Amino acid sequence: MILDPNTPNGIAQTDIQHTQGTTRAAGPLQNTYAGVNMGRTAMTRRSLSILAVVAVLLCGCAQVGRDTVAKPKQRDLVIWGYSLNVDDKGNQGLINEFERLNPDIHVRSLSLGAGGMNGQKLMTSIVGNVAPDVINQDRFEISDWASRDAFRPLDDLMARDVGDPLDPKESQYYPAPWAEAVFKAPNESEPHVYAIPTGADNRVLYYNTDVFQAKAAELRAAGLDPDRAPRTWSETLAYSKVLTESNPDGSLKVAGFMPNFGNSWLYIYAFQENTSFLSPDGRTCTLDTPESEAALKFMQDGYNLIGGYQVAKNFESGFLTKENDPFLIGKVAMKIDGDWIDSDLSRYGHGLHFATAPAPVPDDRFNHVGRFANEKDTYITWVGGFSLAIPRGAHNVEDAWTFIKFATSLKGWQIADETQRTWDRHLGRTYIPRQLANREANEWQFTVLAPAIPQFAGSVKTHKDVMPFGRIRPPTMVGSLLWQEHVKATDNALSGTVSIHDALTQGQVAVQRELNAFYQQDRYPVVNLSIAGYVAAGIAIVSLLTCIVLFKRLRLGRIERTEAKWAYLFIAPWIIGFLLFTLGPMIASLFFSLTQYDVLQPARFVGLKNFADMFGADRENVLKAFTNVGYLAGVGVPLGICTGLGIAMLLNTAARGIRFYRTFFYLPSIVPVVAATVLWHWVLSADPDKGLINSAWRNTITPWLHAPPPGWIEAADWSKPALIVMGLWGAGSGMILWLAGLKGIPNTLYEAAELDGASPRKVFTNVTLPMLSPVIFFNVVMGFIGALQEFDRVFILKSNDGPVGEADSLLVPVYHLFNNGFTFFRMGYASALAWAIFAVILLLTGFQFKLAPRWVHYEANS
Amino acid sequence: MPNGWPYALGTLLCWIGLVEGFIAVFRFVQGVVPPRGTDPIAMRKGALVAALIAGVCLLACGPLLRGHEGGAVFVPLVWFIMPFAAWLAVVAGGFALASVCKMPFAARTEQATLTKRAATLAVACAIGAWLFRRDPSNSISLLKGAIPLTAISAGALLALALAATLGMALSGAYAKSRGYSKAIAAQIALVVGSALFGVPFAWLVITSLKEDQDMASPNGLVWIPKVTETVPYMNPDDPVLEGKYEGQTIQANIVTHNPDGTVLVNITKPGGIAGRSFTAPLASFKQVPEDADLVWASFQGQHVKALVADHLADGKDQLRIVEPSSLKDTEFKALPDDYQKVRHVGLKWSNYPTALEFLSPEANHGLTYLGNTLYLVALTVVGTLLSSSIIAYAFSRLRFPGRNALFGLMLSTMMLPAAVTMLPQFLIFRSLGWIDTLRPLWVPAFLGSAFNVFLLRQFLMNVPMELEDAAKIDGCTYLKTFWSVMLPQITPALAVIGIWTFMGAWNNFMGPLIYVSSPEHMPISYAVQQYNSDRGGEPGYLMAVTTMSMLPVLGLFFFAQRYFIEGVTLSGLGGR
Repeated sequence: MILDPNTPNGIAQTDIQHTQGTTRAAGPLQNTYAGVNMGRTAMTRRSLSILAVVAVLLCGCAQVGRDTVAKPKQRDLVIWGYSLNVDDKGNQGLINEFERLNPDIHVRSLSLGAGGMNGQKLMTSIVGNVAPDVINQDRFEISDWASRDAFRPLDDLMARDVGDPLDPKESQYYPAPWAEAVFKAPNESEPHVYAIPTGADNRVLYYNTDVFQAKAAELRAAGLDPDRAPRTWSETLAYSKVLTESNPDGSLKVAGFMPNFGNSWLYIYAFQENTSFLSPDGRTCTLDTPESEAALKFMQDGYNLIGGYQVAKNFESGFLTKENDPFLIGKVAMKIDGDWIDSDLSRYGHGLHFATAPAPVPDDRFNHVGRFANEKDTYITWVGGFSLAIPRGAHNVEDAWTFIKFATSLKGWQIADETQRTWDRHLGRTYIPRQLANREANEWQFTVLAPAIPQFAGSVKTHKDVMPFGRIRPPTMVGSLLWQEHVKATDNALSGTVSIHDALTQGQVAVQRELNAFYQQDRYPVVNLSIAGYVAAGIAIVSLLTCIVLFKRLRLGRIERTEAKWAYLFIAPWIIGFLLFTLGPMIASLFFSLTQYDVLQPARFVGLKNFADMFGADRENVLKAFTNVGYLAGVGVPLGICTGLGIAMLLNTAARGIRFYRTFFYLPSIVPVVAATVLWHWVLSADPDKGLINSAWRNTITPWLHAPPPGWIEAADWSKPALIVMGLWGAGSGMILWLAGLKGIPNTLYEAAELDGASPRKVFTNVTLPMLSPVIFFNVVMGFIGALQEFDRVFILKSNDGPVGEADSLLVPVYHLFNNGFTFFRMGYASALAWAIFAVILLLTGFQFKLAPRWVHYEANS
Repeated sequence: MPNGWPYALGTLLCWIGLVEGFIAVFRFVQGVVPPRGTDPIAMRKGALVAALIAGVCLLACGPLLRGHEGGAVFVPLVWFIMPFAAWLAVVAGGFALASVCKMPFAARTEQATLTKRAATLAVACAIGAWLFRRDPSNSISLLKGAIPLTAISAGALLALALAATLGMALSGAYAKSRGYSKAIAAQIALVVGSALFGVPFAWLVITSLKEDQDMASPNGLVWIPKVTETVPYMNPDDPVLEGKYEGQTIQANIVTHNPDGTVLVNITKPGGIAGRSFTAPLASFKQVPEDADLVWASFQGQHVKALVADHLADGKDQLRIVEPSSLKDTEFKALPDDYQKVRHVGLKWSNYPTALEFLSPEANHGLTYLGNTLYLVALTVVGTLLSSSIIAYAFSRLRFPGRNALFGLMLSTMMLPAAVTMLPQFLIFRSLGWIDTLRPLWVPAFLGSAFNVFLLRQFLMNVPMELEDAAKIDGCTYLKTFWSVMLPQITPALAVIGIWTFMGAWNNFMGPLIYVSSPEHMPISYAVQQYNSDRGGEPGYLMAVTTMSMLPVLGLFFFAQRYFIEGVTLSGLGGR
């Protein structure tokens, strides 16, 4: 059963309630009281009191746990997104020194949060007025946040402290990283600085010289020089062709070059083609230009050369980290990656010989012909990195600014670097400085701290040399969306589900829609939501008064009146809850669905546009989400029902040890959903060396049918079956209901059937199934409702950035809603989606009830 | 038609032949020893027919299967790789055909049903075929395969199958043995089934106790964990110091020696503050031994047992010989590839504490998470029980105007999916300033939940009226009646609802995901997800954390199994 086995939790609880409420009203419940053993009441009361005592103790315990961190007489400075792992000593040293210099500030750094692509947490905290004071944010998203008014502009602080030697100045920085943190909102007259850049990672080509030398003869035979890296795209493909080796079964043994392995994405190739997916004025998305297509075509060629994208994906799914990193062990000969890999290479790559070179560029660019005839830069790289910003609503802006100034200054970097270097030396590791956006600090690093080992010195130099040729992802309010869409388009085109052109066009349309919405929002009138709130409150008060008046007018005796008053008092919690958390939100949601509202800016009335978008601009995602969930429900629910029924039939054979077996089958269904998902993610690991299922598959099905183990969650075709298999593990929760149903079938029916000489199969189809049909019906309805609201597992399985499941194969409606609502805060569109989900559930359930009389057999009616 | 269909046909015939062969044996034995009330002649006839079919099929499949390189004896297998639509078409078509074939033999009353069924299935088949043909990229491909068998294993399997068939056939004849064979079959099925359900659990626990190097193995999974032997060792060059820091006992490494006799040290334990540095006089510390790995290595051509004294910057390790005693304490350098760790079967319990050390300092080794979850669960359970029972009491035992309308309204709210109210609720809690607190997760529990009210109402309706009347005569107020008379009557239902609420609150993932962001307010469910996304690459720690996160729930389950299992029947359908 797809339905979350761990009912009743969160959403699922509502569903059960719903179905039970509507299935057959109160009838059978009248006698359930007898089903529970009255004799154990005393024991129940005892366990309840134990529970209460435990509860009280734990409240205390939780309170104690809460107070341990705080210190008196210091101002808290909350920083998010700074990694303080054992391997990130530099940040720790920086914070220690900052606290020493500012004894009245206590830094609380939480590595959790919005450092990465998923800004849901940060956005929620800003909207919820619990924003951190400083956020270490992926720089390309700064404009996205700034456009939504989520970050505080820093210009005034910079101008105020201009005399302060620590005050950051544009001239100190490389142009590209600085430009990435500057954004001009459409309604502003001039651009603002929203963040101060910190690191500046760029990408270069890493190549394993051992692999090159081992194949030196073949490379020479192909007319290639084994002592240097490829410089152009066609050279890269030629090298890759020679260096790639396949196993007899078609899987890869060594990949010469996988265009999207490492950290290149489509971006670096597109930058090299002089396109950046956005027009200079920021109003048009240009994801679908011929240049982008050429870049994607190169990636596709790169994969086709080594046997195809799926083969490469399967190969990648077997990759490990640390000592067994594929680049270290020569499984991957060349890759484009950033300078962050150097420290791992030095730590784990004993005896590894590698070199670095600028990432290969299109042949025409290299030769300065054609479109690139007047281009002065040969090599182009992509610069990314992080930056420190102050979210809007931060409680401690002054201290936050003091920290940012310190952390991004030369002095700050010197402390961080020295701490890290001392620590690395203590661990016996080589310290390799990382590229910085602050040019002054970067220069200082490479004069003072350059590593002694030639290949790492070389790598650092290559990175530093290409720094001036860095390109950035364009600052835009749709940065995250553009990123997501570009990942999706790349993936779709490479996996061959759609053509390159179509994939890019789809992405372009999605981004353009958002851009248009942004630039055209003035067309829609602003609505004041607080008026709506007052109206709602007014209606509530008026209806309450009406009720009171009506009640006063009723002719009731004194006792009846008292009884009624008490009753109203008793149900008051529900009334409040109903008004506040059900009726109010329902009306609000209906209202939101007609607006464009992101909480930070005023809502605008857009009419039915959100609903139209569902069938128009966002049609593809919505369709995909409902198709996916339809698959999950349509296949998963029947399978779950069969499994549950099968187990119950087995248990019903009255064999010995039923209690023991029953526990065993039931146990998986009480495992918390997060734990179960995490566990199954590993059980279903694509790598047969690790995954339980694929290990078994490799030993049976692979030799028998010559079918390689599937990628499960990592493969678009298998991710939904993986989820279904996962759900079947929890099918035991249904078994209890089945067992009760089976026990409820009168034995006389079986005896009569036996007398008639019916075969076991006939007995099953003609006695058991019809008698069980109410339970089946109940399970079908509940299973579908639960499956349609799938969310938790999908959220846990999805990678931090990128699609939900390979090629969005696990995108489900509630996830789509959550993403729109809490990552992008498109409250209006998300509300519309919510109503769509409600409508689908209602329709489906109604349909099932309509069909029910045809096959559901109620004993009472016959 | 995909390539290789003769092989597919051969496979089909082979399997039919095998099955029919066993049926022939089965019927033949039944013909000799007929079960009560059966006709031996018919059985023998059946045996003959089955044997005939088996013979024809097995003979025919031979040439079709020839050319497969699976060895002398093999069981052929095929699998079709085709889209869903094609499967739908094939399966529906097959069943439709079966219905049509049945028609001539069916009773007149069944004719109509069969016709209807065949027509429906044919339509489904047509839809499938249409869907399949609609997308030109759809294709069918065929996997040819076989289970290779040696002559001995094939013989053994055959003998086993024959024995089972004979057993089944013979046991049919005697009522007593029939019971036995049924019980044995059921037990086998149950054992296999519970093993299937239990294996992921076993794997989880074993993985959480394995060393890193056993996590992936090309020779099949490692099921027996091994641990590396260690010896306590005092490294003179890089000592592990024990001292005090802010009142806590800590372990630290020296980073730099200052000229004034103090040292800058870096804390390594406890994990919550690991990584902090501070300066203190060297004399305030004492050196403690660390655990050094024992390895087998070769030194000057001799096989020696040594301990790993230090990891050096050039990638080599400093080894110090332990055995033989003639070379004891000799030190030499070796690359990690040149020695093997001394390992024995054992459990790596240290995965558990180490996993917790990776949590942020606010997490207090996960105790904060546990505290938050328990706090949340306790308040939710108490809130739900109190509010739902009192609301149910009003709806079931008190009369007031509008009761039925309000109750109907309450039932209808159960229809509403949480998704609809999710966003506005967030805004409500935001305006209350409750974001990043646990309040949005437990306060609503105090406002009743429709399902629980509904359930409790059914129970309260069954409480005899006399009890209430007696309370009234004694002058109890309604509140007192509810508390002292009604509640004790429905404790079993309350226990079940309490357990369900407990599970729901413990598992709640989406709520914390939306409302909680700082570790000091984070419950376990969300923390595990965070751990998974932060440190997903380290299965040992991840599985340790996962195991720990489910232990309390499993504990509760074993403590109150009755209510878990019997509670389900309360939902109204089971116990009829």
